[in-house]
Amino acid sequence: MTLEHKRVLSDADFEPWFEKAQKLSQLFREIGMKYDVENTFAYPTIKPFKESKIGALGIPVEFGGPGGNILQISKVVSEMSRGDSAITLAYNMHFIMFGIAMANMSDEQNKYWGGRVCGGELIFGPFSEQRAGFSGLADTRAIPQPGGGWKLYGKKTWGTLSEAADIITSSATITDAEGNLPEAFEDRVSSEMMYIADWSVDEDGNGDGVRIEKSWNALGMHATGTHVIHFDGFFVPESGYICEARTGLFSSLEWASLMFASIYYGMSQRVLEESRAVLSKKTLGAVFGAVAASDVKVAGVGHIIDGVGDMACKVEQNRRILWQTCNDLIDGYEDEWPLELRVPYIGLAKTTVAANTTHMAQKAMSLVGGSAFRKGTIFERLYRDSCAAMYQPLNADQTYTYIGEYLLQPEELND
Amino acid sequence: MSVFKDADEVYKYIGGAFATAVSDPKFIEATKGTGLVIRLIQTDPDCEMIIDWEGQKVLTGAAADGVPSSVQLRMSSDNSNKFWQGKLNFTLAMAQRKVKLDGKRSLALKLLPLTPGIFESYLATLKAEGREDLIVS
Repeated sequence: MTLEHKRVLSDADFEPWFEKAQKLSQLFREIGMKYDVENTFAYPTIKPFKESKIGALGIPVEFGGPGGNILQISKVVSEMSRGDSAITLAYNMHFIMFGIAMANMSDEQNKYWGGRVCGGELIFGPFSEQRAGFSGLADTRAIPQPGGGWKLYGKKTWGTLSEAADIITSSATITDAEGNLPEAFEDRVSSEMMYIADWSVDEDGNGDGVRIEKSWNALGMHATGTHVIHFDGFFVPESGYICEARTGLFSSLEWASLMFASIYYGMSQRVLEESRAVLSKKTLGAVFGAVAASDVKVAGVGHIIDGVGDMACKVEQNRRILWQTCNDLIDGYEDEWPLELRVPYIGLAKTTVAANTTHMAQKAMSLVGGSAFRKGTIFERLYRDSCAAMYQPLNADQTYTYIGEYLLQPEELND
Repeated sequence: MSVFKDADEVYKYIGGAFATAVSDPKFIEATKGTGLVIRLIQTDPDCEMIIDWEGQKVLTGAAADGVPSSVQLRMSSDNSNKFWQGKLNFTLAMAQRKVKLDGKRSLALKLLPLTPGIFESYLATLKAEGREDLIVS
């Protein structure tokens, strides 16, 4: 099936869901710095997040949810990200994977798994592998079992939310009984499946046929707890097969691109908020440099004024491109796009928001001054966290390649 | 060299399979109100068909000229032979530009649920015509 984008949940009925997001955002804001320093997932957020049931916002009415659409989910993700982008990036994994899975699952699967999400359970979905990230066909092998289903062997490198999730969706390539991958490229593409299964690990990250290697150590987004997942005989029943992975991913990539864009839109709001808070009050006293005056308030300095104005413009650009792209999908304007450009046109929202936000985070460091460079300030943290934006799909290079290829392609087919 | 001798063979087998499908009650029900009209353009041999689901008709060759369509599919005749048997990975073929799909996405998506039934119809047509040599294993 295809999950249609539509307007079901009214603005009034959406309000209580947004209030849940505001409460979680406040909690994330209060504890975010601590978990950035400790470089671990923000464990105290799991219980309130699950109890809020906000993860069920997008479940369609026919499967027991409120039927929130992609714009409404984008709004709650951005609001939480305004509180703390790293913690929200972890939970964002749930919204991405619920969207992709629901867009590709059968009605029967949606009813079962959607019902569990309505009960507060969370989904995560590690797809990238070491060799070629998100683009690489899965080297993780799904070996058919005599009684049906598959046992999985391999490694996924970006297991965000693995410590809080109850359900996994991921990809693996179905092999022969001996575990050999298909030799022909086309067969390999067709054999790469997307699946869904129960996920249960102990506090050390060990489960039945699976292990979380708690190895997260990166420049930014510390509080996501994005670990390596090892599969060593992890069982997926036949009922867990969703679809051919690439077909499923490409037909529903908006759930990744626009949810990541929502993270960085929220981050851009926070960069502006923090910059205003400092720059509206900061006084330099008597200075003799590029500016020479007896008492300088930075709020009166031309490049500071322009810099804050530029930031505010970028926040508004972010809002417009993100919300309009969501509306393009909901209202069917995507029908006007060439089919080959659907993925990069959706990706444009993410690449634009990401570029604006990384620019803003760097600009804030400059405008606020050297104090922003000190470890532990919100600005150096936003700067580090914003750098993650260049890696999530679609990144700018992928977006430009898709569009450039389309524009330069010959009329003849490739045969 | 194509698996088809000429355009007439394409019209007979692929066109024939569609002619059966468009008058099948389950396809009539599935396509009611969709406005789905497919223009299928093939190369080597060159040929062109209109598959009008709601109008329950298939037009081939010159009869298809200038007839409006809502979705356009373009591929070689060999790939078409594979595709309508369910033996061509559509996503990969699109990415490799072996298949070109134009039209409104919302309409193109309406074609997807129909494909398993079309595969059956095409395979049945080939078997009925004694053209097992065209069946891809």
